[in-house]
Amino acid sequence: MKKYLNQNPVVLKLTILLLAALFLLPLVVTSPTLMQIFILVILYAYFTSTWNFVGGFAGVLPLGHAAFVGIGAYTSTVLLQTYGLSPWIGMIVGGILASIVGVIIGIRTLKLRGAYFALATIAIGEGIRVLFENVKEVGPFKINGPSGISIPLSENSFTAFQFDTKAPYYYIILIMLLVVLLLTYFMMNSKIGYYLAAGGEEPEAAEALGIKVSRYKVIAMAISCFLTALGGTFYAQLMLYFYPKSILGLDLSYEIAFIALIGGRGTILGPVLGALLLRPVSELTRIYIGDMLPGLHLVIFGLILIVVMRYYPKGLVVPVKILFNRHIIDRFSKQDPSNGITSTDKAD
Amino acid sequence: MIGIIEALINGILMGSIYGLTAVGLTLIFGVMKVINFAHGSILMVGMFAAYWFVILTGWNPYLAILIVVPLLFYFGYFMQSWIIKPIFEAEKDVREPITVIIVTTGIWYVLDNLALMIFGAEFRVAKTTVSGKIVEFYDMYFLLPKIIGAGITIACGIYLYWFLKHSKMGKAIRATSLDREAASLMGIRQSNIYNIAFGLGSACCGMAACVLVPFYYVYPTVGVPFDIKAFIIVVLGGLGSIPGAILGGVIIGIIENVGAQFMAATWTELLLYGVFLFVLLVKPSGLFGLKQDF
Repeated sequence: MKKYLNQNPVVLKLTILLLAALFLLPLVVTSPTLMQIFILVILYAYFTSTWNFVGGFAGVLPLGHAAFVGIGAYTSTVLLQTYGLSPWIGMIVGGILASIVGVIIGIRTLKLRGAYFALATIAIGEGIRVLFENVKEVGPFKINGPSGISIPLSENSFTAFQFDTKAPYYYIILIMLLVVLLLTYFMMNSKIGYYLAAGGEEPEAAEALGIKVSRYKVIAMAISCFLTALGGTFYAQLMLYFYPKSILGLDLSYEIAFIALIGGRGTILGPVLGALLLRPVSELTRIYIGDMLPGLHLVIFGLILIVVMRYYPKGLVVPVKILFNRHIIDRFSKQDPSNGITSTDKAD
Repeated sequence: MIGIIEALINGILMGSIYGLTAVGLTLIFGVMKVINFAHGSILMVGMFAAYWFVILTGWNPYLAILIVVPLLFYFGYFMQSWIIKPIFEAEKDVREPITVIIVTTGIWYVLDNLALMIFGAEFRVAKTTVSGKIVEFYDMYFLLPKIIGAGITIACGIYLYWFLKHSKMGKAIRATSLDREAASLMGIRQSNIYNIAFGLGSACCGMAACVLVPFYYVYPTVGVPFDIKAFIIVVLGGLGSIPGAILGGVIIGIIENVGAQFMAATWTELLLYGVFLFVLLVKPSGLFGLKQDF
């Protein structure tokens, strides 16, 4: 544990301050609309962080993560509707289902060139969407095809995963995000993380050293799908209504991938940075000019993606880290030059 | 029975058009080892160009080929040399240029949504002199523009095959796709080959777009279903293989059309994804793929 706390004191203090601010935010912000935007930013940061386990560390490009969001949302919701099961249990069931699907896809395709994996994930994502749009019911479970499912309102309680105010949703997703970020941190500093890093860069060389690269990639895939599905259940409970196009579409898959890529894949803070920068763009364009120019926010996303990939292929986390080091760390740690820049690589 | 034969022939007609878009994709992949995710969007650009040509001039829609195909060739050519080249060069030593794939998805999103902003989401139909004409043949009915389209695409495919096999530029393209370094040492300028391969791939889309416009809807996301079908076809036929792409296109066309005889059209889409996953899991090199490519 000591190893993990051995950070630059400035970074440590800033982190604690930031966390405190995040936890106190609902006391200050009372507008539900604003709160909803904060929740969505954190939710997208969550999705991209879970995407990061495969897209970032396994060195491949998954473009169908909406499938797992959808599996999570549908599983918990049909279990709630049919058996009255608490979404918290349905969440876990959905996560397990999603990771089974992910492993089935990954076991074969993760051995192939990355292009094949990207194509396979698109096909799976779209295939699952078409399936859900065509099926009205499976046995006792009602899916309702393209019209989607709405979750019946119930009383304000933790077991029912429904609340009158936005604040509980905010705390739940914030804690989920922090857990995933911690998991990412531990994974990067574990054996699996090192194996994946080696396998992502030079699979042949890593295999020659006796690392079963594709096995670790499949493990990463299983973790990623499980966590993504948990987010799907959260999305379902937050919105209380969803349909295949909204939750299983290519647009969601791409938005998740784009945010991670722009922020910086394979880093802890990259996905969070990406969501922080891009979600408000899409919310604001949708609110203010959405009707006049549909699709504007996706044009902006695409352009930002192209420019960022041109100048910072590793994501915006790289220049932000440099600026952060230059302007904040250096200024605040002048008294103690021994705590140099070397110990500030938190963003890596 | 007659219905199934009719569907089979319709499948071959439509499949040859799918095949041509897939040929463009597989050509680009063969040379650059990059999957061009913006391929469907390039088709969309071609379709809008052909649509406006028909609407504004009112001439025969197949005359659009003379304008749209060169236009799309240069569209692809400059897309590669301005946007993709600098990114490609930064990671040309990497086994797999994944950043380039990402950038092409970015281009896809920009193009599709720009079209949505400019033209709106409605489905447009170009009323041309051949639209809706029906050919009767032994109690079976076929759309005339589909037959013409299939004829043009097949001729185009044969020409492209000949071009790659026998012309000097074609040989240079094949040499580059076999071994970049060796081709470079023989005095073939790689960046030029990449530009031309991208241009040719886009021109294939332009050709497919021109023959589609007389009987198909034009809308901003029209590229997506074609894009996904092209992905399925190239994997089925083997990434990088041109005969594989044409044969794969015909197979996909037949599955789609014959399948529609037995089930709802939405289910045939699922059938295609099923075929795709089956190929991917059982024989990822596809029908004609090279072992080194996967």
